Amino acid sequence: MAGHLRRLAVFLAGRVALLAVLLALVFAAVEFLPGDAARSTVDRGASAADVAARRAELGLDRLLWSRFTDWMTALPTGDLGVTARGEQVSEVIGRHFPNTLLLGGLALVLTMAAALVLGGGAALRPLSWLDRAVSGTSTIVMALPEFVVASVLVLVLALWTGLLPAVTLTGTTGRPASWNMLVLPVLALAVPQIGWNTRIVRASLADEAAAPHVEAATLDGLPPARVLLWHVLPGALPAIAAGAATSAGMLLGGAVVVETIFNYPGLGTVLAGAVRDRDTPLVAGVVAVTGAVILAVLVASDLIRDRTSVRRP
Amino acid sequence: MDGTPADGTPAGRTGPARRRVRAAVSAVPSIAVIGLALAGPLLAPHPVDTPVAIPYASPAPGLPLGGDQLGRDVLSRLLAGGGELLVTSALVACLVTLLAAALGTVAALRPAVGRAVEWACDVMILLPAVLAVLLVVLSWDGGGRLALVTAATAVGLPYAVRVVAGAAAPIAGSGYVEAAVAGGERLPRLVWREVLPNLRSTLLTLLGLRFVAAVYVVSTAAFLEVGPEPPAADWALMIRENGPGVMLNPWAVIAPSLAIGLLAGAVQVTASALAPRTGRQVVDRR
Repeated sequence: MAGHLRRLAVFLAGRVALLAVLLALVFAAVEFLPGDAARSTVDRGASAADVAARRAELGLDRLLWSRFTDWMTALPTGDLGVTARGEQVSEVIGRHFPNTLLLGGLALVLTMAAALVLGGGAALRPLSWLDRAVSGTSTIVMALPEFVVASVLVLVLALWTGLLPAVTLTGTTGRPASWNMLVLPVLALAVPQIGWNTRIVRASLADEAAAPHVEAATLDGLPPARVLLWHVLPGALPAIAAGAATSAGMLLGGAVVVETIFNYPGLGTVLAGAVRDRDTPLVAGVVAVTGAVILAVLVASDLIRDRTSVRRP
Repeated sequence: MDGTPADGTPAGRTGPARRRVRAAVSAVPSIAVIGLALAGPLLAPHPVDTPVAIPYASPAPGLPLGGDQLGRDVLSRLLAGGGELLVTSALVACLVTLLAAALGTVAALRPAVGRAVEWACDVMILLPAVLAVLLVVLSWDGGGRLALVTAATAVGLPYAVRVVAGAAAPIAGSGYVEAAVAGGERLPRLVWREVLPNLRSTLLTLLGLRFVAAVYVVSTAAFLEVGPEPPAADWALMIRENGPGVMLNPWAVIAPSLAIGLLAGAVQVTASALAPRTGRQVVDRR
């Protein structure tokens, strides 16, 4: 047990180190590319002296290395620094991140539920009309950018039929004002991921169905649905979990686009503004939290793989 | 489940010849869409940058898809708007595939490089592609198309290298490559003459999938207004610009949406028809 825990600790430490490297890369990218926060946050037509004063105020005249080490050492205490506009980064993120997590979480749940039902249904009857329809549609759908899906959804479900609101209104609490404003953003995010995960579910179930113990179960005369749930699905879980984990990254990336379209009060809108302002601490903060979430999902999928692959030769 | 092999196809129906025919048939839509997008500017009946009707004009004779937010002909802009997306995406896909072919085979032949590649992939997977591209293109003042291509290539590379390295590993360990190594062959020759020729189908599939991924990244960047600048006709930009008038002339939004959807879908169908049909390999696609 102790050995198991130590292995887990080493594994987690390695993953956290990856996150640190990523942050260093992001910091460097924003710093070394032309353009800076002082110029983009002063008023238009400000003099050179104004810009210089603003630079000093933001600490941009200090050495890059010392700014980076300051930022990294404060990170474990939850201090993500101050934005170019003088707000606490952790506050800005704290205000918007729950909304993005809600959006992405709902989309992930919908994605996996739909993928398991569609992929499982297709795998139950290989080459049936259902299988062909599901496989063909998912192949095409997984290639669609979120903004294309969103445009069509808005047109059909919001503008022509009037079933759902086309934009998200933010209530006084900073959350979307009504639940039905979540439906279109979640759908726009989930549809391409459903396509992708359905294919993974279908293919990994089909791979697993060829295993000897599955054939034995079929020959024993067990009903197909029972064979699928009890004998095929457990072996296919690692591949399905890995697919879901990669979708988590795609969902957070796609959230930038979808939040822009629906005017949704999440991290995507914050990031778009932060990059435009060359606001290094804010951009790095956003990357830190999205990276941490993706990391957590990947670790979870690795643990599922560990659990389910032990008993297999 | 009812005695069919792993890919769910009854035995005897997937001979190599049959697969080749299927791949050829599946390439027809891609070729049609790409051909239309490239030849489009020549077919456009109106200039793409001059108003020919009132803003958001409804479809009328001579104006089959109506007008856009400045009254320009939607059909002409649609025909002209795919070229840049297509060329940029193709450039990214070729760059990624070429670099991945070189790096991936070296990684399979040299374990130290292999570990570095694995590690770089683990880092990149924590940064969603759209975030990375947004970061680079907006931070790189005046980087324009170069910044977009660089960022999209960097984002796609780790996944592609991993696919090539995975496919090259069994070849690198095979007898004839070991014989060539023992015979004193140098690394470049091992890569180009011994290993890569055996990866043709993997690389072809990879090129297709990277093209789809590049269409996603390049069009999303354009939609977020960090790619082509306005008056340019660009499908993604058209969707963004015509959003406000979607009730007046929905075609100004639907037509470019369908165009991007058709392009991405058609190339995706072709690439998957070429891909080996096993479940676990699909996971590493992006």
